[in-house]
Amino acid sequence: MLDRRRFLNASTAATGSTLIAPWLEPAWADTKPGKPPMRFVFLRKQNGLFPSVMPPTTLSNEEREKEKRKDAYTLDLAKHELPAWMKPIESHKSHMAILQGLSGMMCGGGHVTYSSSLGVYKAAPRLSSIKRATVDFELARMFPSPLGHIELACSHGCPDGVITGNSARGPQQTNLAYGSPKIAVRELFKSVSSDPNEQSDYQLKRLAWEFMAREQFALAGELQGTERAKVTTYAESIAETRARDGRLEKMSEVIRKNLPKLDAKYFNSTITTVDRQWGHLEILLSTLISGMTNVVTFTLDLLGTPYTGLKGLEAEHVDLHGIGHHKGVANLSADEVRVIIRTHHMSLVDALIKRLKAVPEGDGNMFDNTTILYFPDNGEAHHSSGIEWPFLVFAGRNTKLNIAGKYIRLPAHGREGHKTLGNWYTTILNAYGNAIPHYGDPDLGLEKIKLDPKGPIKPFLA
Amino acid sequence: MTPSTHATCKRLPVVWRAGTRWLAGLLVMSLAGSAASGDDKPSKRVVVAPVAQAMLKTYCSHCHGSQGKGGINLSELESLEVREQLDLLNKVQDQLFYRMMPPAKSEQLNEKDRVALSGWVRSELQRHNASKLDERLSDPSSGNYVDHALLFSGTIKDKAYTPARRWLVSPQIYDERVRDSLHLEGKQRTAHLGVLNPFLLPERSGVRDYDLTPLDGGHFVVMQNNAAWLASRVIVSLRIKTGDIEKQPNEKFLLPTTLGDKAKTPTMPAFERIVAKKTPPSDEELTAAIRFQFERVLHRPPTDSEKAKYLKFTHEAIEAGGNLAGLKKLLETVWMESEFVYRLEFGAGTPDQYGRKLLAPREASYAIAYALGDKAPDAVLLKAALEGRLATKVDFEREVRRLLADTTHLSGPIDPLLSNSGESTHPKIVRFFREFFGYPMAMGVFKDIERSNGFYHNPDHKHTQTPGHLIHEADLVVDAIVREDKRVFETLLTTDKFFVAPVENAAAKMKALNEVYDRFKDAKWQLKPGTKKAPSWLSAEDLEFLRKRIHPAANEVTLNLVMRHVEHYRKKGLDPHPQWSYAYGELRMLAPHANSYNIAPPDWAYPQRQPFEVQHRKGILTHPAWLIAHSLNSSTDPVRRGKWVREKLLAGVVPDVPITVDAVIPEDPTKTLRQRLDHATERQACAKCHHLMNPLGLTFEIFDDFGRYRTQESLEHPDNIVAKAKVKYGADTYKTAPVVATGRLDGTGDPKLDGEVKDALDLIDRIAKSERVRQSIIRHAFRFFLGRNELLSDSQTLIDADRAYVQSGGSFKAVIVSLLTSDSFLYRK
Repeated sequence: MLDRRRFLNASTAATGSTLIAPWLEPAWADTKPGKPPMRFVFLRKQNGLFPSVMPPTTLSNEEREKEKRKDAYTLDLAKHELPAWMKPIESHKSHMAILQGLSGMMCGGGHVTYSSSLGVYKAAPRLSSIKRATVDFELARMFPSPLGHIELACSHGCPDGVITGNSARGPQQTNLAYGSPKIAVRELFKSVSSDPNEQSDYQLKRLAWEFMAREQFALAGELQGTERAKVTTYAESIAETRARDGRLEKMSEVIRKNLPKLDAKYFNSTITTVDRQWGHLEILLSTLISGMTNVVTFTLDLLGTPYTGLKGLEAEHVDLHGIGHHKGVANLSADEVRVIIRTHHMSLVDALIKRLKAVPEGDGNMFDNTTILYFPDNGEAHHSSGIEWPFLVFAGRNTKLNIAGKYIRLPAHGREGHKTLGNWYTTILNAYGNAIPHYGDPDLGLEKIKLDPKGPIKPFLA
Repeated sequence: MTPSTHATCKRLPVVWRAGTRWLAGLLVMSLAGSAASGDDKPSKRVVVAPVAQAMLKTYCSHCHGSQGKGGINLSELESLEVREQLDLLNKVQDQLFYRMMPPAKSEQLNEKDRVALSGWVRSELQRHNASKLDERLSDPSSGNYVDHALLFSGTIKDKAYTPARRWLVSPQIYDERVRDSLHLEGKQRTAHLGVLNPFLLPERSGVRDYDLTPLDGGHFVVMQNNAAWLASRVIVSLRIKTGDIEKQPNEKFLLPTTLGDKAKTPTMPAFERIVAKKTPPSDEELTAAIRFQFERVLHRPPTDSEKAKYLKFTHEAIEAGGNLAGLKKLLETVWMESEFVYRLEFGAGTPDQYGRKLLAPREASYAIAYALGDKAPDAVLLKAALEGRLATKVDFEREVRRLLADTTHLSGPIDPLLSNSGESTHPKIVRFFREFFGYPMAMGVFKDIERSNGFYHNPDHKHTQTPGHLIHEADLVVDAIVREDKRVFETLLTTDKFFVAPVENAAAKMKALNEVYDRFKDAKWQLKPGTKKAPSWLSAEDLEFLRKRIHPAANEVTLNLVMRHVEHYRKKGLDPHPQWSYAYGELRMLAPHANSYNIAPPDWAYPQRQPFEVQHRKGILTHPAWLIAHSLNSSTDPVRRGKWVREKLLAGVVPDVPITVDAVIPEDPTKTLRQRLDHATERQACAKCHHLMNPLGLTFEIFDDFGRYRTQESLEHPDNIVAKAKVKYGADTYKTAPVVATGRLDGTGDPKLDGEVKDALDLIDRIAKSERVRQSIIRHAFRFFLGRNELLSDSQTLIDADRAYVQSGGSFKAVIVSLLTSDSFLYRK
């Protein structure tokens, strides 16, 4: 029998791939060798995702009627054709599910929901509205990694810096997101950068944190009781951040092998939005493959994201908000532009899956242990109510969710058996070992009619 | 041990030093117990002392012996595993502390035996470091643990002090400190900065800002990002000034680099020298930069030791990254100092005979400034501190009175997070009462719009909607009463004057609307709905008439809106509402939140003056904001309302819900909430706590969970639907049952007030006359201005504050002066 190291060498040789599954070579102290972690990628888009664009195109008349009435039913995707915008992911059909009929009324609708779609509460751009850690952070805690969680975003105006994210680390704790590939590379891969400026920047940060931790510990040493505890907590926080970097330093070999392959165009301030997304995808892949994180949340676009570089619209500056208000671009209608955008998103998903499939892991590949969720920030429309919240789910063969290869329409809002985003995330959390009875806020409208949709969606649990 | 538990354990002695008489008794017992045992290994089993054994047998074993009532068998205490022993002792300790045992019908412990038994229990738990009660004592929810009667008895002669401390800044103070550290003035003072506020006060009803919170990893993540942004702004601004780089078109925030005088005096000379220099800076230049940053950020020069450490660090940083990167790291690091976000209060000078130190003048200036506002000390306070004129109570009183009388320096929004926050000359005083009453919690209670018949709009992603309006209006009531500053507590509890959708200069606006209508009523002013542009037909004189009264840019379209508006009211024989423009031009969008006061716009005779009398209301406890804040999503919450009255007004203690209890009121479509609650809590195990809350809270059943007065309760259940809603967002009609809101007041200590009450209005009338209620509010004011629970040694401070209130005819400002000149405020130990 091959041991892990020999197996790794053998499989690398066999595939000719230079990519390595890092869990096989635990590079940081807390990693346990053996079973690979599960990984999760949340791909969030704004401007709504119309339920009407989700079903296969080959529905029978009866199924079409059910779809119209929003009756519950399930289809085998293998027997159906996907809508045209999903063509880029055609080859992953057996690993995907189209999930319809979920609702998110407790998230509030409108143009934008901030952390609502991942936290299942009504969020506002103020810390006090954040009720809990969003589901991506809950998963990151279940599958720990040196960085825990990474958030990437093509945000309003495409800023370059570290910006306020749309995930939440905990109640009343926002997250920070990398606004561009440039800043993400600079912040995440600085420790292994060959650029002398980046290296010096990293060393400076290290120097500063070590200095600050030393100073705060020294101050704590002069204190007693509660005062000592207060300063010690802060000193420990700084030391822990430094220790996290230390763990990444220990992983430098594997990180270096999996550095994002981005040429100069991705670091240019004139980068198009589409290239910005491709750049972020590279970073997402690098961090997952190197084992820096197991959970990435990527906001593909927001209403204020100036869309440039779309296929066929290269010369245009597409205004997503205008699209939401049925304003066409060039000679295309708003709906046609929506198709172009979604198709582009699917190209990103296709690339993501293919690249993960190319990384050997266990007796298969890294995609086997990965779940990708593509969903709208605000539900079913540009001005949404949250009455529907369509999802596309892609999961490898080790998934614990029993939905692969299906088109699933759940009972509509207000009907017996209806499910909400809270049920959906409870299902995912339960499936992977978090026994939480229910995640998220209740839907008061359902409570009023004495429906109590708490807990997981049991048929989805494998 | 985790940092948090470590912190909790270390806090305890402070509380115990001056607990209640009960606690004081226990402390003696505990020390004696520890000394006697001579062995504090946690693993050692609990051995029941003979004296304790005897008392347990006399008072407890009848029910909790071998028959084990309620699953508690004290006869087998000695034979249990240590962990089980400690669990059992914690239960005994709680029962004794809350005086829940022995039950009323059984033989009662005399005070001496109670102290002795409790002392033994506590000493055993303390010896094992396992007392759960101890963990709760300094918590904000445990403020009432100190015995109220003893606190105001005048028998406690201990000298007051506050433990020396670091107190984490509030979000508002952090914001001010950041702006101060950049020396921002004028327009830039309020500019949007690229920093996130890492601090947030806990969302709770009651005083929110205690000195207990440590700076943690969550704060660190945000603070380091903020520090990097702040430092980058300094460096970029200076590089542009020195010509090192050009200003980019998208450069959003640059700092002033000169004072704007003719001499172009640099604002940051010490930094500028290093930015401009091509060779490494000298020790002297670096020391100047370190000193400059310390003074900007921490408002003090570095100590010699700090200077040396920072010098070494900055040299290393410059060596690693050059002048710019090294300077940037220096700036960031000072912004990351814990001192930047803590209020330091340690006292200085020689301790007095009680071991207390007076606040150092600089500390005193900050303590006064932050007690009354969010800003750092003003120039007068700083000058007083520098000149040694903050050394006596008289000095403190002079400064506190000056700032309370100043109507501009501290003025600002009460709550910047509200879409429509009001302003106050002293927002911090209003904030005390909002925290005390807890009505801003209405923001977090979500309601189903259809249940409200379409009027209640939950906060959306950008606007605070119905609860925002109601909270703002409650703020206005508080602010008006605080400004009047007479019989403040009584008026807050009993006023029938409320602000509802107030419009500035309402009377004049209504008059103008009437004048316009009368002038044009016979003209052809009607336009099709939605018309945005209309033919000009108004004469120059007409336009002048219209524009003078309505809007300087008013035209035919405006006139149409105004006329439609006034016509609606004229048809109903009412004066027009002073606001003629509303969302979508739909009258139903005109102040729909007023429905919470049983006022139904647009059919509303709008009062010419606000506040005005609103029927069936009596003070803040009947304000819709308070009622909603203390309600559930789909129903009222008599238990929470009763708990609030018991704890906030009667200085009482209600034990925590036992973790084994699933506190849910069962459904029954045939019964009112009161009937269901009574049924669910009538068992003795439930009743022993619920009798403290239900008789108080049920009196508020005269209001529904949207804050509306009612005499009938809707039995909202699908089985009880009488008629389905006919309009979008309309409410279904259900069967109803008469509201029963009788209750009972006990605990005022005044037999003339205690007794059966008709409803909440009756309850409030009695409460407002209670001395204990007045003192309870003073206790909360103490917690707000001191940032901690009161200790028994604060007795004199509280008595003085209470006396100040009474002697001043109910001035809250007199209470503040008294508290901020007390030993509790002035001394640290």
